[in-house]
Parts: sequence; structure tokens; C-alpha cells
Amino acid sequence: MDETTENNPHESSLPGVLGVIDSAISRVESVLLAAGVLMMAVNTIANVVGRYVFQYSLFFSEELNRILIILITFAGISYAARQGRHIRMSAIYDALPPPARKGFMVLIAAVTALCMFALCYFSIGYINKVATSGRVLPALQLPVYWIFLWVPVGFFMTGLQYSLTAIKNIVSKDIYLSTRVLEGYDNDEQEI
Amino acid sequence: MATTIFIIMIVLLLLGFPMMIPLLVATFVGFMFMFGNLGQMDFMVQQMMAGIRPASLIAVPMFILAADIMTRGQSASRLIDMVMRFMGHIKGGLAVSTAAACTLFGAVSGSTQATVVAVGSPLRPRMLKAGYKDSFVLALIINASDIAFLIPPSIGMIIYGVISSTSISELFIAGIGPGLLLLLLFSAYSVAYATINNVPTEPKASWSERAQAVKNALWPLGFPVIIVGGIYGGIFSPTEAAAVCVLYAFVLEFLVFRSLNLPDIYRIAKSTGLITAVVFILVGAGAAFSWVISFAQVPQAILAAVGISEMGPKGVLAVISIAFFVGCMFVDPIVVILILVPIFAPVVETVGLDPVLVGVIITLQVAIGSATPPFGCDIFTAIAIFKRPYIDVIRGIFPFTVILFAVSVALIFFPQIALFLRDLAFR
Repeated sequence: MDETTENNPHESSLPGVLGVIDSAISRVESVLLAAGVLMMAVNTIANVVGRYVFQYSLFFSEELNRILIILITFAGISYAARQGRHIRMSAIYDALPPPARKGFMVLIAAVTALCMFALCYFSIGYINKVATSGRVLPALQLPVYWIFLWVPVGFFMTGLQYSLTAIKNIVSKDIYLSTRVLEGYDNDEQEI
Repeated sequence: MATTIFIIMIVLLLLGFPMMIPLLVATFVGFMFMFGNLGQMDFMVQQMMAGIRPASLIAVPMFILAADIMTRGQSASRLIDMVMRFMGHIKGGLAVSTAAACTLFGAVSGSTQATVVAVGSPLRPRMLKAGYKDSFVLALIINASDIAFLIPPSIGMIIYGVISSTSISELFIAGIGPGLLLLLLFSAYSVAYATINNVPTEPKASWSERAQAVKNALWPLGFPVIIVGGIYGGIFSPTEAAAVCVLYAFVLEFLVFRSLNLPDIYRIAKSTGLITAVVFILVGAGAAFSWVISFAQVPQAILAAVGISEMGPKGVLAVISIAFFVGCMFVDPIVVILILVPIFAPVVETVGLDPVLVGVIITLQVAIGSATPPFGCDIFTAIAIFKRPYIDVIRGIFPFTVILFAVSVALIFFPQIALFLRDLAFR
């Protein structure tokens, strides 16, 4: 995590009210991420301990993990977009001269945003289909479509992040990997 | 259709799009070819959701979390210290210790990058001071860290196991043999290197120092016992072993060593969540992609074009090896596994190959490819962590590539290297 992240991990580059909203969203996403992982750990550990120590499995354990992994994935893709952490093969891109890189970055961010908005739309269609089917989770007795509600939100927020990245690259002089991360900024502590 | 999809995918990958995009766009184009309209696109989302659904995938975030806790704690330094006290004094001892510590930490964490950070970062300055050339040191760290791919737990193996419906437990156990063989050969090369270049040796540790180091490392040594012992003994599924590892790592670093405090938990969980999300969106996109190409019979078409049916089992293994090796020279291993495993699945079945053997060979190729220029992703990990230019990082890699290549060939002709332990445990 780089130093800016250390100082203020949720700092927004947007002006005024938009900036406040943006940094609030960033906070919510990171809390959801951390809470999702911790709940998943507690749930999985409790299930193992229950099974071996008390001979009693948690009947809802698997379903809870299924809910959590969707939460983590779709809160995470947007957070990763904000932090410029999605995996990419940047070797050829890095070898290009700066003006070309800038152009490419606008193109990459715009196309990625478009894909994310499309998937947001498709996933709403999917949720409608699951909702009309009326299926419920066998153990928790919750409607199945509930667990997918994060999906369009996550895609939408990710799309938004990439749109902002494209705009930011058009209006500013430098090249940005994400709304928050300037290209070539060296991470001091490497995360695994 | 197949040609269009692959051209789109390769172009988008090479241009530097986030890796989920080539997979998603290729899937989208595949759907358009098949259905001709947007009416079926919710089915693409359904396939993505199905991709991240398998319960055994929960082992991935759990192992990442355990590794994340340990990398920030003391487990790695205690393991390094123990290995050093035993091997430091032989010729090339520091290099052999580095290789052994990478293997041991691989058995604890399952992540190549975590191994580079946790073992490579503290040991590189020591090796440089002892007189090893940086080109050798960097190449050794990258390649020895790749042993972590093969030694359980292995995230690549979990993903291979899930998408090919192969037992992850059996894959884990089968990875141990080739992993140790690599360690042995890397150690032999290290000794030869130190002898030729006349690198001075370290002072020999006394037995009381050794006893103390073993005592310090006893706690971290519990991880391989939980993972290998638990799975080998049929006590735990990989996901359960992962959960126990998280609990164990937590107890160790927070309660026993007290190297981390409660606010660290939040940061660690967030970082684990981020990595998990980045991997899982790829797994979901990969599942949708794999569904679309399987439905359109693309694998059969490609394999027939290569004429794979006349090659026999060894020929098929050779083709698989080359495909994964080349793939990983350019792209992240998980993406390569997600794209190529479904393509080769039909032929593996037709020729009657053991999917566990195929999995181990794939994992080995993934390890080699990731450390091979031009774009193996470990090279870039090393560049980022050690802040050395590309050319310095790749200079010493060739001898290691030769060793890895020799092991690949050996594995095709003597599958028992991998399957011996598996058969002992499960057959």
C-alpha cells in the first residue's frame, strides 16, 4: 500500500459533494471487504471446529460463504478499480511513449467501463429471472435473488470508476491508472 | 468463431486491458455468434455466478488470508533462521538455505509472491554481502519461490481442481514429489555455483544454537503438519485445512508471538479481500468463457487441427506442457489455467490421462513460464519488490530454466515422481 493510501486511503479526487460521496463509497467498500473476509473466516473456522470438536456442522455454513464470496468479489472489483489493482499485462503498454500510453489508457478505461455497465444491465436481467423463479436457499430460507443484489451494484461502481479514470486522463496532464493512482508511482510495501 | 474470439482476446490482453476484459469480451462475442442477439446475456451472468459458486474455492481466500497474516508476522523469519543454522556452513549454504526456506514457506503460504516478499526480501541482502552475484540471487529467489506453486497449499492447483473436477487433496499430495526434486536440483546448482565462483562459506552453528532455532521455528512448522498431515491423513478437506491454517496463523501471530495487533486484522482482511476479488472475478469470467467455447465445440476443433489424437498420451502431455509454458511467459498463471484447462479437457479424457498428473504438470509449467522472459509475471514481482531493472532480474535465469525443463521432461516419462505419494495416500 502506497503512502497516500496510508495517509488517507479514501481520499477522493472529485470536487465538492461528489468527492464526499466518492470517499464515503470507498469507505463502505473497504468495510464490506474486510468484514466479508473476516465473517467468512469465522464461519469456515466455526464449521470445522463444530464438526470435529462438537460433531455438529453449521447447517447454513456453505450458503453463508456463498453469500459472502459474492459480496467480497463485487465490493472488491470496484475497490480494486479505484486502487488500480486489477491484474493486467502491461509490458507492451509500458514500452510505448507517454502520449500513446495516455491515449491507450483512455481507450482501456472507456472500454472497460462500457463492459462493466453492460454486465450491470445483464445482471439485473439475471436477477429478474431468478426472482421470478421464486427459488429460496434451502438452509437459510432466503430468496436466492437476494444474494445477487450486490452484483449489478459492483459492476456499476466499477464501471463508474473506469469512466472517471478515462475522464481524468482526458482532462489532466499526467497519466492515471485509476482515479487515485498515478502511473509509475512506486509502491513501497508490496502486498501479496 | 474460434479464430475471431482468440484474436480479440490476444489483442486485448497484449494492449494491457485488465485481464477480466479479454475474457468477458471474448465470451460476449461467443454469445453473439451463438444466439445472435442480446436476449441471452443474463445467461452469461449466470455462468459467471456458477463459476465462483463451488464451495472448494473458499480455500483460496482462506489460504491468502493465512499467508497475509504470516507475511506480516514472524513465521517467515523464524523458518529462515532455522534452515540457516543447519545449512549455512556448507559450500553455497546460503543459497541452499534460501531455496529451502522458499520451499518451506511455500508449504506454509501457497503464494509465490508472498514467498518472494517473506523470504527473498530478508535473504537477498545477506547473499549479496556474502559475495553472490545479484543476477544469481534474483534468479534463485524467483525460481525457488516458484516451488511454492507445487508444494501444498497451491492456489493454482485449487483452481485447476475446481474447473477440471479433480480432487484437490490428491493434487496437493502429488505436488510434493516434484517440488522436492526441484529443491534438490536447485540446491545442487547452488553448491556448484558457489564452488565455481568460490563464494566464502558461513560459520558453522553450534548444536545449541540449532536447537534454539528449531524451538523458535516449531510453531510455524505446524502449518505443513496441518496441511499435509491433515489432507494426507484424510482428516481435512483443503478448505477445512485452509480454515484451520487461518485460525493457527491468527493464534500464532496475535497471541503467541504478539507480532501483530487488532487494527492489523482490518488491514489484512481488506488486503485479502482485494486479492480475492481480483482473482474471483477472473474465475467467474473464465467460467463463462469456458462454457461458451465448450458449447461451441471450440476445443475439439482446435485439438483436431493440431492432430492431437495421433500423438498418444506422452505427446499430449508434451503439447499441454508447451501450451501452458508459453502461455505463462505472457500472462498471469490463473488466467492461463482458466483459458487452457477447458480447451484440453476433452483430449485428457479421450487419451485416458490421469487428471492429477496433468494438474501437476500444468502447475510445473505455470511455475516455469512465470519465471521466464519476456513477460513471466514473477519477473515483474521481483522488479517491483527489489527495484532492479528488468535486464538484471532475467540475467541469471537460464540455468534454472534448464533445470525446470529437465524436471518437466522427467515428469512426463516418470509420472511416479508425482503419483508415488498420491498412490501411497489415496490408493
